[in-house]
Amino acid sequence: MGKQVKLRIDGQEVQAPAGMNLIDAAELAGIHIPNLCYLRGMKGIGACRMCLVEVEGLKAPIIACNTKVKQDMAVHTRTERVQEIRRFVVDLILSMHPLDCVTCTKSGVCNLQEYAYEFGLKESSFSRKKFTYPVDEGNPFVKRDPAYCILCGRCVRVCKEQGTNVLDFMGRGIESKVITANDMPLHESGCTFCGSCIDVCPVSALREADREKKGREWEFSRHESVCMLCGCGCDITVSTKGDLIQKINAGSRSPSTEQHFICTYGRFGYEHVDGGKRILSPMVRKGGQLQEVSMKDALEDLAGRLKKAGKNTGFISTASILNEDAMTLQRFSGEVVKTSNIDSTASLYARPEQLEKSQKAKLDKADLIILVGVNPSQWTRVLPALDVAVRRRLSRKGRLITINSQETALDKLAEINLNGDEIQAVQGMIKSVPDHGIKVDQKLLKHVQEASTDKNMQQAAEMFAGSSNPLIISDPAFFDVASNLAWIKGQAMAMPLESNARGVVLMGVKSKDNTFQDMAAVEHGLVQRGRSTVKLLYAVGDVPLSKKPDGVDFLVVQSSSFTGLAREADMVLPAATYLESSGSMVDYLGQLKTVEQAIEPRGESKTHRDIFVQLAKNMGATLKKPTFSEVKKAAGTEVILSVADMSRKEAFQETPESYLQALNAPVLETSRLLWLKESGMT
Amino acid sequence: MQQNIFHTDNSDYFRPAHRDITPGMWQGIDRVIQECLDVPGAVTQVLRRCQDLVGYLPVELLDYIAHSLNIPASEVFGVASFYSLFSMKPRGRNIIRVCTGTACHVRGADLIMRRLKQTYHLEDGSTTPDRRFTLESVRCMGACGLAPAMNINQTAHGHITPDQALKLLQEYY
Repeated sequence: MGKQVKLRIDGQEVQAPAGMNLIDAAELAGIHIPNLCYLRGMKGIGACRMCLVEVEGLKAPIIACNTKVKQDMAVHTRTERVQEIRRFVVDLILSMHPLDCVTCTKSGVCNLQEYAYEFGLKESSFSRKKFTYPVDEGNPFVKRDPAYCILCGRCVRVCKEQGTNVLDFMGRGIESKVITANDMPLHESGCTFCGSCIDVCPVSALREADREKKGREWEFSRHESVCMLCGCGCDITVSTKGDLIQKINAGSRSPSTEQHFICTYGRFGYEHVDGGKRILSPMVRKGGQLQEVSMKDALEDLAGRLKKAGKNTGFISTASILNEDAMTLQRFSGEVVKTSNIDSTASLYARPEQLEKSQKAKLDKADLIILVGVNPSQWTRVLPALDVAVRRRLSRKGRLITINSQETALDKLAEINLNGDEIQAVQGMIKSVPDHGIKVDQKLLKHVQEASTDKNMQQAAEMFAGSSNPLIISDPAFFDVASNLAWIKGQAMAMPLESNARGVVLMGVKSKDNTFQDMAAVEHGLVQRGRSTVKLLYAVGDVPLSKKPDGVDFLVVQSSSFTGLAREADMVLPAATYLESSGSMVDYLGQLKTVEQAIEPRGESKTHRDIFVQLAKNMGATLKKPTFSEVKKAAGTEVILSVADMSRKEAFQETPESYLQALNAPVLETSRLLWLKESGMT
Repeated sequence: MQQNIFHTDNSDYFRPAHRDITPGMWQGIDRVIQECLDVPGAVTQVLRRCQDLVGYLPVELLDYIAHSLNIPASEVFGVASFYSLFSMKPRGRNIIRVCTGTACHVRGADLIMRRLKQTYHLEDGSTTPDRRFTLESVRCMGACGLAPAMNINQTAHGHITPDQALKLLQEYY
């Protein structure tokens, strides 16, 4: 913790870390300084002039967003003088803002409305100025209505900081307008439709394209959850009304109002829960056709089959199921069905040890990020939130080294690119580290004796040696080698492609006998490693396979979408999606996050764990659902990094891009995201 | 997909075809960009020098500059639209700037403006179809002692009447 500063705000004594701005410091004391353009975590720009405060000893009021706390400062946030200025600002803005709060969807959460209410301003005292700008509604995601825009610049700033760089101001003065390059509509501007601009817009100038008539803000129930669609596992807030999801926003309500990011999939993909491919009831294959049956019959039938198959049963699961589901699955397979054939899709791109050894880290504390073999990109939609997190960190004093045999989207922002073989590059770096005043264990150095170094690796080693808290984010294929860096300093983690890969492994869903590849030995870029003895294959979640594996007599698919594998199944069981279940997950940074149920499971679908418990009952066994403390304990397991493993691991056969697309195919195809596919923007 | 060009495309961005930009101008543009490649905050300079070369800043050129300097096109567009110095519409070979500041206004600047508009069928800020003249009203040029003042290209003319203004312009083609 840094130096603390004592100051008085409105007579109240406040202790704040040195370097904090006045808005945040006042927030610590529960005092809100009005503002329209401030964004926590970003530099204050003083555009709106609403945050003017008076400081004793200073003649003129100053802006709070860009003023740092000083020892013994005495700040007054509500003097008559500053209130008058604020009132004037709101008065001016209102002269250009449509006063249609009666139908405006932002009503209730609109910052401008809040301040106008506070100052009792019904109407501007200035003459009304109106521009007739066209509304940009050429895409099904973001609607841009410049008539409402108050030119605060929040959207421009988030768009720039996250590197999308689509929005900027055009013109000056009263005629300024937020535009894309050449004032084109968003769908012709290179926009990725992440909707970050929607989250920060204080008024209704940027909103979800279908936001109208979906309900007033105060009618919504909000649920803090986690998006489970890719390895980023972003915090989301789901707004529901009448058991329907109305919208999803980034970040959870607590603890801060800091800006978060979710991508187009996370924000707009929720329609798949009621999409055309949803499995609503159990189905059993009779005479070559899948026919609906009752849940009771299906589970009784299945229980008998599982009992018979015993250790010839195999369980394959996606790595995006919740911890509780994973732990129940692990218990069910081991204790009830008594088979050791269990594995998850995580094993396709990572070995369980790597995910277990992956350390806990805080990305926003890292002063140096080293990406090894990872290529996150908002544009290819591979781990977009990681791309944004890195870019955001770089705009706030972070530095970046990319190590990749291919060009990556982040190369241009990195100070050093080590192109070429990743493993050689890391070894070269390690070899050079001792030249820069850092002691490295001989045990480790011995393994890199033969490595060759070049100027770039030397420089990278120098940067690494000079950093105080480096974070190494590695593709699992290179984790064993890359984590050696963390053995010297900092943290290392293996970046999974699926949201709960770490959690699923920590909960015990990992291969003990046959692996996922053995059990699923079919196409999809997988290497066939001889046939397994599995006769009854039980697929949990939307496993991205499309063919029933050879040698399997009976295939059960417990999933939410009727895609790929479900079509080939002998029995289909309807499973709840992540938006319909509660529990927890472990994100790529090792943080245990809770997932809150937002809506009721559709049709007859049930959570995975409920289905397993019922099956166990039918098989005459009792299966206990794990408690949160059990999950927490399992998630907290820490495995010490092993040193000096320089071996090259078999890389994933598929590109992350195509794998994630296969994984999220149901989401992509049965929501408005289909528009992206149809317009060639996926 | 076009959008990742800013960040991943290292190759030279293809020069867009434009009828107002000759091969010679392109060479000049590339020279300017080359000189400013790693200079932070060089956009304004690049835009000004490119405008000097081409006469104005066509949208295609803004795009080209953005790609070449590896900065967002929206930003280049924002800068170009912010400064009145820059024009994204074709401009005349000769730029007439009539001062309409207080002193010039009092001494009959709008008589001059009106006469120029009538004679050459111009509006404030517009260009003759043959691109001979662009007419602009400007605020104080700091030459109040010469009021009413008028600038043709880089030359200032003071104490002018509407007739004199027209006569001066006859020499510019």
